[in-house]
Amino acid sequence: MSVTDAGAVNATVRRPAAQTPFQRFVADYTESRLATIAFILLIATMVLALIAPWIVPQNPYDLAQVDIMDSRLKPGTPASSGKYTHWLGTDGAGRDLVSAMLYGLRISLAVGVMSGLIAMALGAAIGLVAAYVGGRTESLIMRIVDLQLSFPAILVALMLIAILGKGVDKIIIALVTVQWAYYARTVRGSALVESRKEYVEAARCLGLSNARILFGHILPNCLPPLIVVVTVQTAHAISLEATLSFLGVGLPQTEPSLGLLISNGFQYMLSGEYWISFFPGLVLLMTIVVINLVGDQLRDVLNPRLSK
Amino acid sequence: MRRSKTFLTAVAAAGLALAAPISASAKDLRMALSAEPSAMDPHFHNLTPNNALTSHVFERLVHFDEKQTPIPGLATSWKTIDDKTWEFKLRTGVKWHDGSPFTADDVLFTMGRAPNVENSPGSFALYVRGKTFTKVDDHTVRVTTKEPYPLMPNDLATIAIISQKAATGAKTDDFNSGKAAIGTGPFKFSEFVKGDRYVVVRNDDYWGTKPTWSKVIIRPIKTGPARVAALLAGDVDVIEEVPTTDIARLQGDAKVSLGQGLSNRVIFFHMDQWRDETPFITANDGSKIKNPLKDVRVRKALSKAINRPAIVDRLMEKAAVPASQFLADGFFGVSKKLKPEAFDPDGAKKLLAEAGFPNGFKMTLHGPNGRYINDARMAEAVAQMFTRIGVETKVETMPPAVFFNRASAGAGGNPEFSFILVGWGSGTGEVSSPLKSLVATFDKTKGMGTANRGRYSNPVLDKAIDEALATVDDAKRAEMLAKASEIAIEDVGVIVSHYQLNTWATRKGLKYTPRTDEYTIATSVSEQ
Repeated sequence: MSVTDAGAVNATVRRPAAQTPFQRFVADYTESRLATIAFILLIATMVLALIAPWIVPQNPYDLAQVDIMDSRLKPGTPASSGKYTHWLGTDGAGRDLVSAMLYGLRISLAVGVMSGLIAMALGAAIGLVAAYVGGRTESLIMRIVDLQLSFPAILVALMLIAILGKGVDKIIIALVTVQWAYYARTVRGSALVESRKEYVEAARCLGLSNARILFGHILPNCLPPLIVVVTVQTAHAISLEATLSFLGVGLPQTEPSLGLLISNGFQYMLSGEYWISFFPGLVLLMTIVVINLVGDQLRDVLNPRLSK
Repeated sequence: MRRSKTFLTAVAAAGLALAAPISASAKDLRMALSAEPSAMDPHFHNLTPNNALTSHVFERLVHFDEKQTPIPGLATSWKTIDDKTWEFKLRTGVKWHDGSPFTADDVLFTMGRAPNVENSPGSFALYVRGKTFTKVDDHTVRVTTKEPYPLMPNDLATIAIISQKAATGAKTDDFNSGKAAIGTGPFKFSEFVKGDRYVVVRNDDYWGTKPTWSKVIIRPIKTGPARVAALLAGDVDVIEEVPTTDIARLQGDAKVSLGQGLSNRVIFFHMDQWRDETPFITANDGSKIKNPLKDVRVRKALSKAINRPAIVDRLMEKAAVPASQFLADGFFGVSKKLKPEAFDPDGAKKLLAEAGFPNGFKMTLHGPNGRYINDARMAEAVAQMFTRIGVETKVETMPPAVFFNRASAGAGGNPEFSFILVGWGSGTGEVSSPLKSLVATFDKTKGMGTANRGRYSNPVLDKAIDEALATVDDAKRAEMLAKASEIAIEDVGVIVSHYQLNTWATRKGLKYTPRTDEYTIATSVSEQ
């Protein structure tokens, strides 16, 4: 027995209404134990990254605290200052790897989330307008989207970085440029469907403004697919940032993100000094897998077609 | 250890899969380069990998031995007739690979072509310009210049002689296809597949010592660890530029032997000394200040802040020597008086305070990543050292092509950066090359200071260099060059850091004789 509520703001409400929508969402999500663990890990990672400056023994970006004489120490070696231990060793410049990884994680996550959110806002707005206005404007916008999607993301990002230069802000600009089109396409697809529904017609009849119909009525109904795209694209943005850094074009040498740490350690692999690449690689892998797991489960939960 | 072995096998397997099927017979030699030669045309690009490759097939009038001392090549002897005229006696009985005899006409033809190659990214014009070549007889050539020119043999050691018969009207592509690649050298051209492999075979009619190797296959493998893996897997016999991180491990490996030798390359820093406000230096609060690098005390302080032994030990894995000047001991024209600046952070702080910067300033150090051995890490290490004396330094590294473009002409035809890491290899094997290019006042028309990216200018030094360059007497010139080096280093026109050591690795049973010019050539590989 299902209730079809045409005016519903949230798509998940097509269920018997003993629970609030949020409770139902939580119940659906936690059905998968793996996804639940992934979610907890994701939160833990974010918290760790957030509080990193207060828990790590060294500020790896402060060159006065880093000494080349401490470079490439094995995991478990005490620091030269004697105040702490390099539990995961140090990298080629003498940074404590635990500190460097948590700081790198901060950058990776910040870049991923920031570029994901900005690209989403931009892409969603453009997609909505395309779907709602229709006609030539829509064709034009969607051809630009097609054009954008036909270029490999890494190539466009590389070119942009070469022009803009290094820095976190520039990386975010580059990532937004290569990612907004995914959002635009997703939103336009669902907005096209939504804008032909009765509740939109009703809103028009009430004389509501275009902006209000677009953002107050259509957008909320396009959210479920958008949320899924955000999680997947955030993971993608993180790996893209790591790739750019690995290629040596992303962030300054003295402020390594995870990708740059991996790249710096890569040359020591054959010499048996595995830890410089290995641990940052592990953290990067874990972060991306965890975000993707969460994204997958969100997709399953938010997709009405998959509802049992 | 277990992990690294597994990884190594994986890399080696990947290397095998990628490698073209090359059968190894007893007298084949397979060498792996760190950079890829761009042409078989010996006049196309004055670049180490190109010069090394083409010297298998082509020869010069004057050759350099492994220490870059001029020795007879296609010319058997040379002497000065007067201050402005040199005479070269050519070797008789030398045959081109197509069988025709080598004569003075080929030399004159070569000197006409070398400076005029189409689309050349780095021309040899510099070494030919200002010289008039005349034929006296079939085996005698005279060279005249407007001014006395003592470096004639060194200059001519850079120009490969090509065959007039085979190369008349030839373009770079004709050399790559082999049509014009007719030389006099110990090897004959066989195959040129750009970026993949370059093959030469033994010239059995060679005038000199016939090479041991019947066939030489040269392949570029740009990634250091992959090069090492290829050697260990037996895919290649010789590799150049062993990554410093692997040297210690390879020394303990019974399957390989190493050849290590001093290079003609010095790693140093250029400092902006011409702008009153330099774009990448600010006060600690970010506000603009007058360019501190114009003050010799600041330059001296920065030099004192660099811990050269630590760089050599920790960063270069001992594959370097702390530098005191532009070329290491043993090269022509080096000063015996100069010693590497001692590491003295307290003295550096004192000098900074005297110069009016007790709390230092902020600076960005720019450098290439991937041009010199460990260049990006070197920039980072030096930034650490500067930060410790209060000069908060950020590092920005970029791909070499981008870096050199911006460092030379990024600010409207002028150098863009304030403080850069670069290196200089002396192509002529003596001190006048770096003096002329790096610290002489920038003057394009005179060809002076062409790589002076800090625009250091010191009239006293300019005069000393000019005088040295016009002195034909070797002993006297060496002394004058040493004097000029002392002026430049004592005034800290540039900050020198270290001389590179180059490391080759061969499979056991072979031996590579290290060369200061960094060339990897088959004739330097011998059987033990």
